[in-house]
Amino acid sequence: MTQKIKLYDASKCTACRGCQLACKQWNGLQAGQTQQEGTYQNPPSLQPNTYMIIHFQDYVSPEGDIKWLFRKEACMHCTNAGCVTVCPSGALYYNKELGTVGMDRDKCIGCKECMTACPFEVPKYDKKTEKVYKCDMCESRITNNMTPACVKACPTGALRWVDKEEAVKIAEARVQKLGGDSHIYGDKFVGGTHMMYVLPEKTDVYQGIKKDPKVSFALTVWKSWLKPLSLLAAGGVIGGSLLHYFIHGPHKPHPEHYDQDDKKQGGV
Amino acid sequence: MKKKMVLVTSKYERFVHWMLAISCLLLCYTGLGIMFKELNFLGVIFGGLQGLVTVHDIMAVVFAISLVLAILMWWKEAGLFTFPEDWEWIKAAGGYLWHLDHVPETGKYNPGQKMFFLTVALCGLMMVGTGFFMWYPTILPAALMNWVYVLHVLGFVVIFAFFFVHLYLGTIGNPGSVSAMLSGKMELPVLRMLHPKWVKEMEHEGKLVVIEEDK
Repeated sequence: MTQKIKLYDASKCTACRGCQLACKQWNGLQAGQTQQEGTYQNPPSLQPNTYMIIHFQDYVSPEGDIKWLFRKEACMHCTNAGCVTVCPSGALYYNKELGTVGMDRDKCIGCKECMTACPFEVPKYDKKTEKVYKCDMCESRITNNMTPACVKACPTGALRWVDKEEAVKIAEARVQKLGGDSHIYGDKFVGGTHMMYVLPEKTDVYQGIKKDPKVSFALTVWKSWLKPLSLLAAGGVIGGSLLHYFIHGPHKPHPEHYDQDDKKQGGV
Repeated sequence: MKKKMVLVTSKYERFVHWMLAISCLLLCYTGLGIMFKELNFLGVIFGGLQGLVTVHDIMAVVFAISLVLAILMWWKEAGLFTFPEDWEWIKAAGGYLWHLDHVPETGKYNPGQKMFFLTVALCGLMMVGTGFFMWYPTILPAALMNWVYVLHVLGFVVIFAFFFVHLYLGTIGNPGSVSAMLSGKMELPVLRMLHPKWVKEMEHEGKLVVIEEDK
Protein backbone atom coordinates (compact mmCIF):
# COMPACT_ATOMS: atom_id res chain seq x y z
CA MET A 1 0.00 0.00 0.00
CA THR A 2 1.07 3.57 -0.52
CA GLN A 3 1.06 6.43 1.94
CA LYS A 4 -2.28 8.16 2.28
CA ILE A 5 -3.24 11.73 3.02
CA LYS A 6 -6.32 13.22 4.60
CA LEU A 7 -6.74 16.32 2.48
CA TYR A 8 -8.78 19.14 4.00
CA ASP A 9 -9.84 21.84 1.55
CA ALA A 10 -10.89 24.75 3.76
CA SER A 11 -12.42 26.52 0.76
CA LYS A 12 -15.00 23.75 0.44
CA CYS A 13 -15.76 23.44 4.15
CA THR A 14 -19.13 24.73 5.32
CA ALA A 15 -18.37 23.96 8.97
CA CYS A 16 -21.34 21.66 9.30
CA ARG A 17 -19.29 19.72 11.84
CA GLY A 18 -20.54 16.41 10.57
CA CYS A 19 -16.91 15.24 10.75
CA GLN A 20 -16.66 16.26 14.38
CA LEU A 21 -19.72 14.21 15.26
CA ALA A 22 -18.70 11.21 13.15
CA CYS A 23 -15.33 11.27 14.96
CA LYS A 24 -17.04 11.12 18.35
CA GLN A 25 -19.37 8.39 17.17
CA TRP A 26 -16.77 6.07 15.64
CA ASN A 27 -14.34 6.49 18.54
CA GLY A 28 -17.07 6.23 21.18
CA LEU A 29 -16.22 9.60 22.72
CA GLN A 30 -18.61 11.36 25.07
CA ALA A 31 -19.35 15.05 24.84
CA GLY A 32 -18.37 17.34 27.67
CA GLN A 33 -20.51 20.23 28.85
CA THR A 34 -19.26 23.59 27.60
CA GLN A 35 -20.39 27.21 27.80
CA GLN A 36 -21.56 29.48 25.03
CA GLU A 37 -18.66 31.80 24.31
CA GLY A 38 -20.09 33.74 21.44
CA THR A 39 -18.91 31.36 18.73
CA TYR A 40 -20.11 28.20 17.03
CA GLN A 41 -16.73 26.69 17.77
CA ASN A 42 -17.40 24.05 20.38
CA PRO A 43 -15.65 22.70 22.36
CA PRO A 44 -13.14 25.58 22.36
CA SER A 45 -10.11 23.30 21.86
CA LEU A 46 -9.07 19.67 21.46
CA GLN A 47 -9.91 17.56 24.53
CA PRO A 48 -9.12 14.03 25.65
CA ASN A 49 -12.58 13.14 24.33
CA THR A 50 -12.45 15.43 21.28
CA TYR A 51 -9.91 14.34 18.69
CA MET A 52 -10.86 17.02 16.16
CA ILE A 53 -12.64 20.34 16.04
CA ILE A 54 -13.64 22.83 13.39
CA HIS A 55 -12.31 26.32 14.14
CA PHE A 56 -14.69 29.22 13.46
CA GLN A 57 -13.04 32.58 12.89
CA ASP A 58 -14.33 36.00 11.90
CA TYR A 59 -11.76 37.60 9.66
CA VAL A 60 -11.60 41.09 8.17
CA SER A 61 -9.40 41.04 5.09
CA PRO A 62 -7.11 44.01 4.27
CA GLU A 63 -9.68 44.98 1.59
CA GLY A 64 -12.33 45.29 4.27
CA ASP A 65 -14.28 42.16 3.40
CA ILE A 66 -15.62 40.17 6.33
CA LYS A 67 -15.00 36.48 5.95
CA TRP A 68 -15.83 33.43 8.01
CA LEU A 69 -12.81 31.15 8.07
CA PHE A 70 -13.01 27.49 8.97
CA ARG A 71 -10.20 25.10 9.81
CA LYS A 72 -10.20 21.50 10.90
CA GLU A 73 -7.76 20.88 13.75
CA ALA A 74 -6.62 17.35 14.59
CA CYS A 75 -3.47 15.27 14.72
CA MET A 76 -1.40 16.09 11.64
CA HIS A 77 0.20 12.63 11.47
CA CYS A 78 3.77 13.85 10.89
CA THR A 79 6.29 11.83 8.92
CA ASN A 80 8.89 12.85 11.49
CA ALA A 81 6.67 12.73 14.58
CA GLY A 82 8.07 14.11 17.84
CA CYS A 83 5.51 12.11 19.83
CA VAL A 84 6.70 8.78 18.40
CA THR A 85 10.33 9.78 19.06
CA VAL A 86 9.74 10.39 22.76
CA CYS A 87 7.08 7.78 23.56
CA PRO A 88 8.83 5.38 25.96
CA SER A 89 6.28 2.59 25.85
CA GLY A 90 5.64 2.11 22.14
CA ALA A 91 2.05 3.31 22.60
CA LEU A 92 2.56 5.81 19.76
CA TYR A 93 3.81 4.29 16.53
CA TYR A 94 3.93 4.80 12.78
CA ASN A 95 1.56 2.86 10.59
CA LYS A 96 4.36 1.77 8.26
CA GLU A 97 2.15 1.29 5.22
CA LEU A 98 -0.02 4.37 5.38
CA GLY A 99 2.39 6.70 7.19
CA THR A 100 -0.13 7.76 9.83
CA VAL A 101 0.59 7.87 13.59
CA GLY A 102 -1.41 5.25 15.47
CA MET A 103 -1.89 4.81 19.18
CA ASP A 104 -2.18 1.70 21.34
CA ARG A 105 -3.86 3.09 24.43
CA ASP A 106 -3.27 -0.06 26.49
CA LYS A 107 0.46 0.64 26.31
CA CYS A 108 0.18 4.33 27.28
CA ILE A 109 1.65 5.01 30.74
CA GLY A 110 0.49 8.62 30.93
CA CYS A 111 4.02 10.09 31.11
CA LYS A 112 2.84 13.10 29.04
CA GLU A 113 6.15 13.33 27.18
CA CYS A 114 4.34 13.39 23.81
CA MET A 115 2.36 16.48 24.88
CA THR A 116 5.56 18.54 24.99
CA ALA A 117 7.18 16.91 21.97
CA CYS A 118 4.24 17.48 19.60
CA PRO A 119 4.81 20.70 17.60
CA PHE A 120 1.03 21.01 17.14
CA GLU A 121 0.07 20.50 20.83
CA VAL A 122 -2.32 17.72 19.86
CA PRO A 123 -2.10 14.94 22.50
CA LYS A 124 -4.38 15.59 25.48
CA TYR A 125 -4.11 13.98 28.91
CA ASP A 126 -7.13 12.61 30.75
CA LYS A 127 -6.78 12.76 34.54
CA LYS A 128 -9.41 10.09 35.07
CA THR A 129 -7.86 7.37 32.92
CA GLU A 130 -4.29 8.73 33.34
CA LYS A 131 -3.70 8.27 29.64
CA VAL A 132 -3.18 10.46 26.59
CA TYR A 133 -5.65 10.72 23.70
CA LYS A 134 -5.35 11.83 20.09
CA CYS A 135 -6.69 11.11 16.59
CA ASP A 136 -5.29 7.87 15.17
CA MET A 137 -6.80 8.54 11.72
CA CYS A 138 -9.40 5.85 12.53
CA GLU A 139 -6.78 3.14 12.24
CA SER A 140 -9.38 0.44 12.67
CA ARG A 141 -11.09 1.75 9.52
CA ILE A 142 -8.15 2.70 7.28
CA THR A 143 -6.45 -0.68 7.76
CA ASN A 144 -9.68 -2.27 6.51
CA ASN A 145 -9.92 -0.25 3.29
CA MET A 146 -12.36 2.28 4.70
CA THR A 147 -11.95 6.03 4.92
CA PRO A 148 -11.56 7.79 8.28
CA ALA A 149 -14.94 8.52 9.89
CA CYS A 150 -14.61 12.28 9.40
CA VAL A 151 -13.95 11.84 5.68
CA LYS A 152 -16.89 9.47 5.37
CA ALA A 153 -19.20 12.04 6.93
CA CYS A 154 -18.09 15.06 4.87
CA PRO A 155 -20.92 16.10 2.52
CA THR A 156 -19.04 18.73 0.47
CA GLY A 157 -15.85 16.95 -0.50
CA ALA A 158 -13.78 19.23 1.71
CA LEU A 159 -12.28 16.11 3.29
CA ARG A 160 -10.77 13.42 1.10
CA TRP A 161 -8.72 10.29 1.81
CA VAL A 162 -6.33 9.80 -1.09
CA ASP A 163 -2.90 8.44 -2.03
CA LYS A 164 -0.12 10.88 -1.23
CA GLU A 165 0.89 11.66 -4.82
CA GLU A 166 -2.68 12.17 -5.86
CA ALA A 167 -3.37 14.35 -2.84
CA VAL A 168 -0.54 16.71 -3.77
CA LYS A 169 -1.81 16.90 -7.36
CA ILE A 170 -5.37 17.62 -6.26
CA ALA A 171 -4.16 20.25 -3.79
CA GLU A 172 -1.93 21.95 -6.38
CA ALA A 173 -4.74 22.07 -8.92
CA ARG A 174 -7.08 23.50 -6.30
CA VAL A 175 -4.57 26.18 -5.28
CA GLN A 176 -4.13 27.16 -8.93
CA LYS A 177 -7.87 27.47 -9.36
CA LEU A 178 -8.42 29.46 -6.17
CA GLY A 179 -5.45 31.77 -6.83
CA GLY A 180 -4.73 34.71 -4.51
CA ASP A 181 -3.17 33.77 -1.19
CA SER A 182 -4.36 30.16 -1.37
CA HIS A 183 -1.69 27.56 -0.63
CA ILE A 184 -0.96 24.07 0.61
CA TYR A 185 -0.21 23.59 4.31
CA GLY A 186 1.45 20.38 5.51
CA ASP A 187 3.64 19.32 2.60
CA LYS A 188 6.89 20.93 3.76
CA PHE A 189 7.54 20.80 7.52
CA VAL A 190 8.23 17.80 9.84
CA GLY A 191 8.89 15.60 6.80
CA GLY A 192 5.39 16.27 5.49
CA THR A 193 2.19 15.56 7.38
CA HIS A 194 -0.48 13.00 6.59
CA MET A 195 -3.18 15.57 7.03
CA MET A 196 -2.78 18.43 4.57
CA TYR A 197 -4.74 21.62 4.16
CA VAL A 198 -5.66 23.73 1.20
CA LEU A 199 -6.03 27.16 2.79
CA PRO A 200 -7.60 30.04 0.81
CA GLU A 201 -5.89 32.71 2.96
CA LYS A 202 -2.29 33.22 4.15
CA THR A 203 -1.21 30.85 6.93
CA ASP A 204 -0.72 33.54 9.57
CA VAL A 205 -4.32 34.71 9.13
CA TYR A 206 -5.58 31.53 10.81
CA GLN A 207 -5.86 31.66 14.59
CA GLY A 208 -4.05 28.95 16.54
CA ILE A 209 -2.25 27.56 13.50
CA LYS A 210 1.46 26.74 13.76
CA LYS A 211 3.27 28.85 11.20
CA ASP A 212 6.55 27.00 11.32
CA PRO A 213 6.09 23.74 13.25
CA LYS A 214 9.37 22.02 14.13
CA VAL A 215 10.36 19.04 16.19
CA SER A 216 12.55 20.58 18.90
CA PHE A 217 16.32 20.06 18.63
CA ALA A 218 16.09 19.08 22.30
CA LEU A 219 14.64 15.73 21.21
CA THR A 220 17.80 14.95 19.24
CA VAL A 221 20.02 15.90 22.18
CA TRP A 222 17.91 13.78 24.49
CA LYS A 223 17.15 10.69 22.46
CA SER A 224 20.10 10.43 20.08
CA TRP A 225 22.94 11.72 22.25
CA LEU A 226 22.28 11.66 26.00
CA LYS A 227 20.25 8.44 26.08
CA PRO A 228 23.03 6.23 24.70
CA LEU A 229 25.62 8.30 26.58
CA SER A 230 24.02 7.31 29.92
CA LEU A 231 24.92 3.67 29.35
CA LEU A 232 28.29 4.41 27.70
CA ALA A 233 29.39 6.64 30.59
CA ALA A 234 28.37 4.12 33.22
CA GLY A 235 30.05 1.30 31.28
CA GLY A 236 33.20 3.39 30.92
CA VAL A 237 33.29 4.08 34.64
CA ILE A 238 32.85 0.41 35.53
CA GLY A 239 35.59 -0.57 33.08
CA GLY A 240 37.83 2.23 34.35
CA SER A 241 37.32 1.18 37.96
CA LEU A 242 38.24 -2.42 37.21
CA LEU A 243 41.32 -1.28 35.28
CA HIS A 244 42.28 0.92 38.20
CA TYR A 245 41.84 -1.98 40.61
CA PHE A 246 44.11 -4.28 38.66
CA ILE A 247 46.72 -1.80 37.42
CA HIS A 248 47.00 0.74 40.24
CA GLY A 249 45.54 -1.41 42.98
CA PRO A 250 43.38 -0.51 45.95
CA HIS A 251 44.39 2.03 48.56
CA LYS A 252 45.90 0.11 51.46
CA PRO A 253 47.44 1.49 54.66
CA HIS A 254 51.26 1.40 54.91
CA PRO A 255 52.87 -0.47 57.78
CA GLU A 256 53.65 2.92 59.30
CA HIS A 257 49.96 3.61 59.70
CA TYR A 258 49.73 0.56 61.91
CA ASP A 259 53.05 1.09 63.72
CA GLN A 260 52.11 4.59 64.75
CA ASP A 261 49.32 3.45 67.04
CA ASP A 262 51.00 0.29 68.22
CA LYS A 263 54.12 2.17 69.33
CA LYS A 264 52.09 4.58 71.37
CA GLN A 265 50.82 1.71 73.41
CA GLY A 266 54.20 0.15 73.76
CA GLY A 267 54.13 -2.26 70.88
CA VAL A 268 52.27 -5.49 70.31
CA MET B 1 45.29 -9.14 68.56
CA LYS B 2 42.63 -6.50 68.63
CA LYS B 3 41.43 -4.10 65.96
CA LYS B 4 41.34 -0.42 66.83
CA MET B 5 38.04 1.02 65.58
CA VAL B 6 36.84 4.62 65.49
CA LEU B 7 33.21 5.68 65.20
CA VAL B 8 33.08 7.93 62.12
CA THR B 9 29.38 8.26 61.30
CA SER B 10 26.26 8.64 63.42
CA LYS B 11 23.16 6.47 63.11
CA TYR B 12 21.30 9.43 61.64
CA GLU B 13 23.97 9.95 58.97
CA ARG B 14 23.82 6.30 57.98
CA PHE B 15 20.02 6.36 57.90
CA VAL B 16 19.93 9.38 55.59
CA HIS B 17 22.70 7.93 53.44
CA TRP B 18 20.83 4.67 52.86
CA MET B 19 17.47 6.34 52.34
CA LEU B 20 19.12 8.51 49.68
CA ALA B 21 21.02 5.57 48.20
CA ILE B 22 18.07 3.20 47.97
CA SER B 23 15.71 5.80 46.52
CA CYS B 24 18.39 6.94 44.07
CA LEU B 25 19.12 3.41 42.89
CA LEU B 26 15.44 2.59 42.49
CA LEU B 27 15.03 5.82 40.52
CA CYS B 28 17.95 4.86 38.26
CA TYR B 29 16.54 1.36 37.76
CA THR B 30 12.98 2.46 37.04
CA GLY B 31 14.18 5.45 34.98
CA LEU B 32 16.28 3.17 32.78
CA GLY B 33 13.29 0.87 32.28
CA ILE B 34 11.09 3.80 31.30
CA MET B 35 13.58 5.60 29.05
CA PHE B 36 14.78 2.62 27.01
CA LYS B 37 12.08 0.75 25.10
CA GLU B 38 14.59 -2.13 24.99
CA LEU B 39 14.66 -2.15 28.82
CA ASN B 40 10.90 -2.00 29.35
CA PHE B 41 11.16 -5.59 30.63
CA LEU B 42 12.75 -4.23 33.85
CA GLY B 43 9.16 -3.44 34.80
CA VAL B 44 8.25 -7.12 35.11
CA ILE B 45 9.09 -7.20 38.83
CA PHE B 46 6.80 -4.22 39.43
CA GLY B 47 3.93 -5.60 37.37
CA GLY B 48 4.75 -3.89 34.09
CA LEU B 49 5.78 -0.51 32.73
CA GLN B 50 3.04 1.26 34.65
CA GLY B 51 4.56 -0.20 37.85
CA LEU B 52 7.92 1.39 36.98
CA VAL B 53 6.22 4.77 36.70
CA THR B 54 4.46 4.33 40.06
CA VAL B 55 7.69 3.30 41.83
CA HIS B 56 9.56 6.17 40.11
CA ASP B 57 6.96 8.68 41.31
CA ILE B 58 6.99 7.44 44.91
CA MET B 59 10.78 7.17 45.10
CA ALA B 60 11.06 10.69 43.69
CA VAL B 61 9.42 12.00 46.87
CA VAL B 62 11.61 9.83 49.14
CA PHE B 63 14.68 11.01 47.20
CA ALA B 64 13.69 14.65 47.45
CA ILE B 65 13.25 14.41 51.23
CA SER B 66 16.47 12.49 51.85
CA LEU B 67 18.38 14.81 49.54
CA VAL B 68 17.33 17.83 51.57
CA LEU B 69 18.27 16.04 54.81
CA ALA B 70 21.65 15.02 53.34
CA ILE B 71 22.43 18.54 52.17
CA LEU B 72 21.49 20.06 55.54
CA MET B 73 23.60 17.45 57.32
CA TRP B 74 26.73 17.46 55.18
CA TRP B 75 27.07 20.77 53.35
CA LYS B 76 29.35 22.34 55.95
CA GLU B 77 31.69 19.36 56.14
CA ALA B 78 31.57 18.14 52.55
CA GLY B 79 30.24 21.06 50.57
CA LEU B 80 32.98 23.62 51.13
CA PHE B 81 36.55 23.39 49.90
CA THR B 82 39.39 24.49 52.15
CA PHE B 83 42.29 26.03 50.33
CA PRO B 84 45.19 25.55 49.84
CA GLU B 85 45.25 22.02 51.29
CA ASP B 86 42.39 20.74 49.07
CA TRP B 87 44.15 22.17 46.05
CA GLU B 88 47.29 20.20 46.85
CA TRP B 89 45.24 17.01 47.02
CA ILE B 90 43.54 17.74 43.70
CA LYS B 91 46.91 18.38 42.02
CA ALA B 92 48.05 14.96 43.24
CA ALA B 93 44.70 13.39 42.21
CA GLY B 94 44.55 12.04 45.74
CA GLY B 95 47.23 9.51 44.90
CA TYR B 96 44.69 7.50 42.93
CA LEU B 97 46.15 7.85 39.47
CA TRP B 98 49.93 7.63 39.90
CA HIS B 99 52.16 6.39 42.67
CA LEU B 100 52.92 8.81 45.47
CA ASP B 101 54.92 8.20 48.61
CA HIS B 102 52.98 10.80 50.45
CA VAL B 103 49.43 11.89 49.58
CA PRO B 104 48.66 15.50 50.60
CA GLU B 105 46.75 15.36 53.89
CA THR B 106 43.14 16.45 54.05
CA GLY B 107 40.45 16.63 56.71
CA LYS B 108 37.33 14.58 57.32
CA TYR B 109 36.30 14.71 53.67
CA ASN B 110 38.86 14.86 50.89
CA PRO B 111 38.18 16.99 47.77
CA GLY B 112 37.13 13.90 45.82
CA GLN B 113 34.43 13.17 48.36
CA LYS B 114 33.46 16.83 48.36
CA MET B 115 33.14 16.80 44.59
CA PHE B 116 30.94 13.73 44.82
CA PHE B 117 28.76 15.35 47.46
CA LEU B 118 28.41 18.53 45.42
CA THR B 119 27.60 16.59 42.26
CA VAL B 120 24.90 14.57 44.01
CA ALA B 121 23.52 17.68 45.73
CA LEU B 122 23.40 19.86 42.60
CA CYS B 123 22.36 17.17 40.10
CA GLY B 124 19.91 15.81 42.66
CA LEU B 125 18.26 19.21 43.09
CA MET B 126 18.12 19.54 39.32
CA MET B 127 16.46 16.12 39.06
CA VAL B 128 13.88 17.06 41.68
CA GLY B 129 13.18 20.40 39.97
CA THR B 130 12.94 19.05 36.42
CA GLY B 131 11.02 16.00 37.66
CA PHE B 132 8.40 18.23 39.22
CA PHE B 133 7.76 19.92 35.89
CA MET B 134 7.56 16.51 34.21
CA TRP B 135 4.55 15.81 36.41
CA TYR B 136 2.92 19.03 35.17
CA PRO B 137 4.46 19.57 31.72
CA THR B 138 1.92 22.15 30.60
CA ILE B 139 2.98 24.73 33.21
CA LEU B 140 5.96 25.76 31.08
CA PRO B 141 5.83 26.61 27.37
CA ALA B 142 6.65 23.54 25.26
CA ALA B 143 9.76 25.18 23.77
CA LEU B 144 11.23 25.40 27.30
CA MET B 145 9.74 22.16 28.56
CA ASN B 146 11.53 20.17 25.84
CA TRP B 147 14.84 21.25 27.41
CA VAL B 148 13.63 20.30 30.89
CA TYR B 149 13.55 16.68 29.70
CA VAL B 150 17.09 17.11 28.36
CA LEU B 151 18.26 18.34 31.78
CA HIS B 152 16.59 15.40 33.50
CA VAL B 153 18.46 12.95 31.28
CA LEU B 154 21.71 14.92 31.62
CA GLY B 155 21.40 14.65 35.40
CA PHE B 156 20.89 10.93 35.03
CA VAL B 157 24.00 10.54 32.86
CA VAL B 158 26.09 12.23 35.58
CA ILE B 159 24.50 10.57 38.63
CA PHE B 160 24.47 7.07 37.12
CA ALA B 161 28.16 7.25 36.15
CA PHE B 162 29.15 8.80 39.49
CA PHE B 163 27.30 6.07 41.34
CA PHE B 164 29.77 3.47 40.06
CA VAL B 165 32.75 5.66 41.01
CA HIS B 166 31.26 5.96 44.49
CA LEU B 167 30.60 2.22 44.68
CA TYR B 168 34.16 1.36 43.67
CA LEU B 169 35.94 3.88 45.90
CA GLY B 170 33.67 3.10 48.84
CA THR B 171 34.27 -0.64 48.69
CA ILE B 172 37.11 -2.52 46.99
CA GLY B 173 38.97 0.62 45.90
CA ASN B 174 39.53 1.59 49.53
CA PRO B 175 39.44 -1.57 51.63
CA GLY B 176 38.15 -0.87 55.13
CA SER B 177 36.04 2.14 54.21
CA VAL B 178 32.68 0.49 53.55
CA SER B 179 32.18 -0.23 57.26
CA ALA B 180 31.73 3.52 57.80
CA MET B 181 28.29 3.17 56.29
CA LEU B 182 27.48 -0.22 57.84
CA SER B 183 28.59 -0.32 61.48
CA GLY B 184 29.66 3.32 61.36
CA LYS B 185 33.18 2.41 62.42
CA MET B 186 36.49 2.42 60.58
CA GLU B 187 39.82 0.90 61.49
CA LEU B 188 42.22 3.51 62.88
CA PRO B 189 45.13 2.72 60.49
CA VAL B 190 42.80 3.02 57.49
CA LEU B 191 41.55 6.29 58.89
CA ARG B 192 45.12 7.50 59.39
CA MET B 193 45.80 6.78 55.74
CA LEU B 194 42.62 8.26 54.27
CA HIS B 195 41.91 11.14 56.65
CA PRO B 196 45.19 11.80 58.49
CA LYS B 197 44.50 15.42 59.25
CA TRP B 198 41.10 14.64 60.72
CA VAL B 199 42.61 11.99 63.04
CA LYS B 200 45.24 14.48 64.19
CA GLU B 201 42.58 17.11 64.83
CA MET B 202 40.52 14.68 66.86
CA GLU B 203 43.59 13.60 68.80
CA HIS B 204 44.51 17.20 69.43
CA GLU B 205 41.02 18.01 70.70
CA GLY B 206 40.93 14.80 72.69
CA LYS B 207 37.88 13.57 70.79
CA LEU B 208 39.42 10.45 69.31
CA VAL B 209 37.68 7.48 70.91
CA VAL B 210 39.24 4.16 70.02
CA ILE B 211 37.10 1.06 70.45
CA GLU B 212 38.95 -2.23 70.61
CA GLU B 213 37.33 -5.11 68.82
CA ASP B 214 38.36 -8.72 68.42
CA LYS B 215 39.76 -9.51 65.03
